[in-house]
Amino acid sequence: MSVNAGSKAKRRLANLGIVPGVQIIKKRSAPLRGPLEIIVRGTSLVIGRGLASKIIVRCQEQCELI
Amino acid sequence: MSCHLPSKSKEREKGKYKESINIALAGNPNVGKSVIFNQLTGLSQTIGNWPGKTVEKMEGYLDFLGYHFNIVDLPGIYSLSTFSLEEIVSRAFIVSEEVDLIINVIDATNLERNLFFTFQLLELKIPMILAVNQMDILHKRNIDIDFKKLEEIFKLPVLPIVAVHGVGVHQLLEEAIEMVVYRHPHSHHIEGELESGRHHSHHYYRKEHIHEKVKSWSSLKTEFKFPDLTEILSFGKEVEDKIGKLISKIKSSNQITNSHYPARFLAIKLLEDDEEIKNLFTINENSTNIIQNATRYREEIEEIHGEDISTVISSEIYNNIKKVVDQVIILKPEKQLKKKTLAEKLDHLTTHSILGYVILILVILGIYMFTFSTGNFFGGLLDNAYGIWSERIYSIFGDNSLGVKILWDGGMGGIIGAVGGVLVYVIPFFLIIEILQDSGYLPRAAFLMDRIMHTLGVHGKTIIPMILGFGCNVPACAGCRIMETEREKKISIVLTSLIPCAATLTVVMGLVGRYLGLQWVIVLFIINFSVILIVGKILNKTMPGTCTELIMEMHEYRAPNFKVILKQTWLRSKEFIFKALPIIIILGILLEILLIFNALEPVNLVLSPISVFWLGLPAATGIFLIYGILRKELTLVLLALFAENLQTPLLVLLSPIQMVVFSLVTMLYIPCFATIIIIAKQTNWKYALKIAVMEIAIALLIGGIINWGYLFFSNL
Repeated sequence: MSVNAGSKAKRRLANLGIVPGVQIIKKRSAPLRGPLEIIVRGTSLVIGRGLASKIIVRCQEQCELI
Repeated sequence: MSCHLPSKSKEREKGKYKESINIALAGNPNVGKSVIFNQLTGLSQTIGNWPGKTVEKMEGYLDFLGYHFNIVDLPGIYSLSTFSLEEIVSRAFIVSEEVDLIINVIDATNLERNLFFTFQLLELKIPMILAVNQMDILHKRNIDIDFKKLEEIFKLPVLPIVAVHGVGVHQLLEEAIEMVVYRHPHSHHIEGELESGRHHSHHYYRKEHIHEKVKSWSSLKTEFKFPDLTEILSFGKEVEDKIGKLISKIKSSNQITNSHYPARFLAIKLLEDDEEIKNLFTINENSTNIIQNATRYREEIEEIHGEDISTVISSEIYNNIKKVVDQVIILKPEKQLKKKTLAEKLDHLTTHSILGYVILILVILGIYMFTFSTGNFFGGLLDNAYGIWSERIYSIFGDNSLGVKILWDGGMGGIIGAVGGVLVYVIPFFLIIEILQDSGYLPRAAFLMDRIMHTLGVHGKTIIPMILGFGCNVPACAGCRIMETEREKKISIVLTSLIPCAATLTVVMGLVGRYLGLQWVIVLFIINFSVILIVGKILNKTMPGTCTELIMEMHEYRAPNFKVILKQTWLRSKEFIFKALPIIIILGILLEILLIFNALEPVNLVLSPISVFWLGLPAATGIFLIYGILRKELTLVLLALFAENLQTPLLVLLSPIQMVVFSLVTMLYIPCFATIIIIAKQTNWKYALKIAVMEIAIALLIGGIINWGYLFFSNL
């Protein structure tokens, strides 16, 4: 995966372990195009839709478009 | 786990303490740091602000094994960069001379992310102990951690703890003494003690010995030899090359002799383009040279990796962490097929796209009902007692003497007003906050509401103080400090202060609900929420900056620990009683006395153009609204007393439309006095007064529109 966002947002995501190559599992999303809940490094993170849409992932299995 | 805790009495008999050890508790948010802090410092703690900052500073102390420990609980942060005020404050404090040792609290169930912060702390080369918390939860998941291995890797003490049960908490201090005094960390393993060998209890009896050893206490920190951790802290070759070059440049310039940061830390942060660190280098040729070099190196690295520097560095740290974690995690075979646990079921329900919102509304109603009913119950009891005692006092001293009026009606009345009108709502409410926070529900609400909150210029987290605002605006506004940026904090405070609190509900229910019916209460709430929506939208447009995106950890539900909850509730209440309540009491007494002498009668006259002409209310309501600033429900109490004096039923005194206007104005017109004080503490007085003026304007505008609109249409 890679992140296509501003440097500040990138830094926040990187600090939380969202860096290229990491596995991301989508757990759920809130209604009305709300935020996503993802599992990264074994724990859940909630990420606003605007930012989540800038995280580019390569699907491995059970792909679902964000 | 076996542990040897010295008895309380043993701690006390130590008597005089000369040596003190200053400890900073650091870690990610929500790892149990404050629980450890509470276990250690008990009721000695004070809550203040970091100098010049609106970040809360928690301090406490305890005497243990002959040493005086000063402990500072740092705000929970994810890294030592400068994204938030909390990070800036923490970083500066940790390297200051006020810290002898860091206790880094780590959530065992979230090792990788927590270690990211640990790895950054290690770069500061300050004596450190790692406290791995929530081991019980990890064990329940059939996972264990090899602590011996961890200590070998970090060459620092690593202790398993279960903070909520106090397990291992005091060992942290024993280890701290060992580390600061003997300066040889993880000795117990090197000495070849058994694996279960956490009994280094013999150290207790070496106290005298320790005192002899310690001659120059102040030089300890500089003398401490931090272990060589190159193996785990090294970055990839390109990055490490550049860091090496920067270090030698930094060392050869004596520009930063006054900085406490190690050169390597400075080099990394310069590469990362950290503004604060850059500012440390006073501008002269030499230092601009260093900064220019750093910029060039950064660009080179970014080009090689095709990623920006923060991503490159974070990736490499996470790679190093992964290597460590893989060595120490012990997976036990699963006992049975995994069944959905209660926590998972709750998680599913409370984030459900329909049921989730239903639950959210129920939670808000629950907060309302609980705060409202317990507050009214205890407030009522107090008022009754006050009434009975008043009669007795009057029958002894007469009800006309000046002394009785000032001391009893004014003084005691003011105290009863503050206790019975504010405190009885605030304390049950603190309890609710703690339960909600401890259980882990609130982030779910933020998850559900994020989309909607974005239209108001803030992200989902703002819903947390707003939900709390339904109970009481005072702690809710204080809770706005969880917002990451100043802009979001300011908007959140305004929105939260517009939430009708439990005391406001008393007025609305007691007047409109009782005489006009529930449907009108709902109308009033709809108006109130529309105001919040519009104000949010306007603030979003007018405030400089943009809305940041929600990034939030979602923790699993856990059963609330009532001991911890009660302790926290008491601490919060204590802070409120000693810091806010006296001001409320003094002002209450002043107002009571002014009222007794009818000194505020002219106020009604002055206010009459607004109250009578613009809002169409009886003249006497002017003073009630002034009183309402102190306690919102006083507006109704005084109104009822007034009607009683005139021997007219409320329904005759006020027309339905007047009731609606009066209630609406009470809901919106100003945050109560205690809230204004809290807002001023969180931001500044200017901002607090601005909010007050704005809300008065809104209340008058809407109240006037309803009054005049009604007049206009009824005359058609």
